[in-house]
Amino acid sequence: MSEIKKSLVATSGVVLAMLSVLAGAKVRDLADTGGAERAERDPLAVQTLVASRDNAQEVPEADYFYEMVRLLKQEYVEPIKDDQKLATGAIRGMIASLGDPKSVFMDKAEFQAFLNSRQGTYEGIGAEFALELKGKVNKDVAKKLTPTGDETPEEALVTMPRIPRLTVVGLTPGGPAAKAGVKIGDIVYSVDGHWVVNSDLYVRFQQARKDFDAKKIPLTELNKIRKEIRDKTDRALLPLKAQDRLIVGTDGTVNVVWERDGSQRTTLLNKAASTMPAFSVGPNGVVNLRLVAGAPDALKKAISGKREVTLDLRNNAQGDFGIMKECLAILAPKGQYGAITTQRNEKPTPLVVKTGNPSPPKLNLLVDRTTRGAAEILALALSNFGKAKLTGGAMGGDRNVVQIVQLTDGAGYTLVTGIYNVRADKKAGIVAKAKG
Amino acid sequence: MSERTRRPASWPRPKVKRVKTLQKSILFGAALLACGAFGFTWRDIQSGQLPSGRPVSNLLGVKTTAGMTPEQVFKQAYNQIRYNYVKPIKATDLKYAGMQGLMSSLGDPHTLFLPPRAAQAFAEDTRANFFGVGARLGNDPLGAKASSVFEDGPAYAAGLRANDVITGVNGKSVSGRPVDEIVDQIKGKEGTFVTLKVIRKGVNDPIVMKIRRARIVTPTVESKFFPESKVGYMQISQFAEPTALQFDKELVKLEQNDIKGLVIDLRGNPGGLLETSAEMLSRFVENKVVVKMRGRDGREEVVRTYAGAVREFNYPIVALINEDSASAAEIFAGCLRDYGKATLVGEHSYGKASVQNVFPLVDRSSAKITIAKYYLPSGTFIGRKVDEDGVFVSGGLEPNVKIELDLDKDPTPGDPKTDNQLARAIQVVLEKQ
Repeated sequence: MSEIKKSLVATSGVVLAMLSVLAGAKVRDLADTGGAERAERDPLAVQTLVASRDNAQEVPEADYFYEMVRLLKQEYVEPIKDDQKLATGAIRGMIASLGDPKSVFMDKAEFQAFLNSRQGTYEGIGAEFALELKGKVNKDVAKKLTPTGDETPEEALVTMPRIPRLTVVGLTPGGPAAKAGVKIGDIVYSVDGHWVVNSDLYVRFQQARKDFDAKKIPLTELNKIRKEIRDKTDRALLPLKAQDRLIVGTDGTVNVVWERDGSQRTTLLNKAASTMPAFSVGPNGVVNLRLVAGAPDALKKAISGKREVTLDLRNNAQGDFGIMKECLAILAPKGQYGAITTQRNEKPTPLVVKTGNPSPPKLNLLVDRTTRGAAEILALALSNFGKAKLTGGAMGGDRNVVQIVQLTDGAGYTLVTGIYNVRADKKAGIVAKAKG
Repeated sequence: MSERTRRPASWPRPKVKRVKTLQKSILFGAALLACGAFGFTWRDIQSGQLPSGRPVSNLLGVKTTAGMTPEQVFKQAYNQIRYNYVKPIKATDLKYAGMQGLMSSLGDPHTLFLPPRAAQAFAEDTRANFFGVGARLGNDPLGAKASSVFEDGPAYAAGLRANDVITGVNGKSVSGRPVDEIVDQIKGKEGTFVTLKVIRKGVNDPIVMKIRRARIVTPTVESKFFPESKVGYMQISQFAEPTALQFDKELVKLEQNDIKGLVIDLRGNPGGLLETSAEMLSRFVENKVVVKMRGRDGREEVVRTYAGAVREFNYPIVALINEDSASAAEIFAGCLRDYGKATLVGEHSYGKASVQNVFPLVDRSSAKITIAKYYLPSGTFIGRKVDEDGVFVSGGLEPNVKIELDLDKDPTPGDPKTDNQLARAIQVVLEKQ
């Protein structure tokens, strides 16, 4: 072997060695992140989470999780058997921290009920709910008002954190809730004697305190509300917990107090399975379109050869965004139909139909406040670009694009990833805003 | 590249050469593998840590049917939320929210993750001294209500009194803000000033006061002598480091009055340091069990009072408790009862029967973890049981004399005229004479 060749071999050996070092490091990254995309890694990962030094250090999240689990395993009073439960708990915590009524964590039973309802099969009382903020907020007042502690309760409502209320946005026809006379827009006040937390009581207390300080009411009156607050909060349910009791299970009864236009009514409901009508064409030719699997094919058939079609998009809160896009492509010609925007520093993603239907029928869409989510986006996209006429009331005001994620243990969560806007240059507005 | 390539393929190769080549390539391959392994463990080595088996098992885990490891599940969800959620998210906030969720999944209300700010506040609380104006603040819809103002603190000197409601800090309204946030705004560097806007019952206009921040040692023990009944009253608000010393001082002060009885008020006392509780109990009994702590794997540890600190109490004692008396306060009251040193009056206590250790973490957060359960000298376990809605079912200390607080009298704690629980306690202590 000549000198040149020897050095060539040596050099390539070194290069290969270096490459394998890099490859090893890369494999390690994959191992640590499970191939999760866009992983940012601090090269100086801290391996011992418990502080031994004074200077604060950042710990990357995966290491943090691992070390925290290890710490608990070493120190917690009871043996920790199920690591997966810890991961699920962490995810629950992260989702909860978003404070977004449309991004919610669901345990196994809840998530299964949620998935079933998307296919039209409902448990519980046969209703769909949304968390909505109630009470009118006068925006001009909100701008002018700097809280001084002397506000009227109505003004205080502007500045106080408001708690969204559990509101009916969909009902299965003939389901337990519908049979009992529950209507769209009804608010859950209590479930099985458990008060569902809302701010009204605190506003009332504030008023009573003012009245007491002004000697308008005696102390016993004030204490009555104090006691009411204590008794109610002792057995209170947060809105999502209350929802669980209403949408999971097919046996047993549930006692619900509803609020409608300021008055209350009590119902005793038998939980049972119920269904939302699947894709169907009514005798009058009206197409009941639900944005779930199978809908695009059925829709294609239903509209073929027709010059004019009426689509019913009411009672439609659980649609799938992907299916909606397929339906849009069947109902509209090639083009851009608004965009999905976020509040992050990102470019909007245009909502584009690539091939589309060059000669779609004239469309008439039936909508009202039960038209929400994917269905509302479809209606907005078609009507704003002159492809359809809307008939009915104002829609639900929910234009969120929601991603659904299932975890290995059967639990899952929803995550709002964008908001539909007719104009692509607009930034995302307020999530899940109520209208009408 | 090697000599092999230059020979026609059909030529038989010399055997020795072949073995050598084989050896060489095995060696070379092994060297490459070693380099790869070095790269794999580089992060460990860099941070001065022995290479761990975790990433290797992670790698294997991906291939097996076991699915993803919990760590991968977490990481994936983290990335999902961090990068796909509609609004921008601060990475650390998300991470801490995850850790809080992780800890609360254990179903133990006392195992908590404390992000840096909370961890610092917790440390200050147990040390019972910090820079501030010298007032304890509570919730109020209009801002923060001064539940007590320390008499030797700067706020008292500036005119702040108990039950005043702070509605503004440094010219900004704090109405509707959470009390922790208001406290954060009031605290600051020693020697700097803070301006408070205060409303007081019976005074029409808001009062504005400028207060110089100073180092505050929170009084955790306050005492009062009631001349009508000749009963001494002592309020212990928490068991902090200086509490035992303050307890001794206040006892001496009270005993100058030749008291006929002592009421120790532990209502609303959330506990604190077990050591302090044990030290204070050493004034009553020596070499006696305070608590038996049972950790994981049945490890048992016994905390005892120590010898040589016992003093005499020539009068009966009543301890006042309620549902907000917890932890070290319950141990203190429970031991006094178990050793026949005091009668318990009031409502059942909280029922915190576990011991936590606080682990400071490298990023200034802390992990507060339940490390043991404890049992009182009588062997009772007072752990709180709650139903699915968190409503109290059982647990805590049961008082010997049960009495609920009468809210209709607008009670001020420590005033026997309006505080019916205290009035009853005085009655009980006088009957014991």
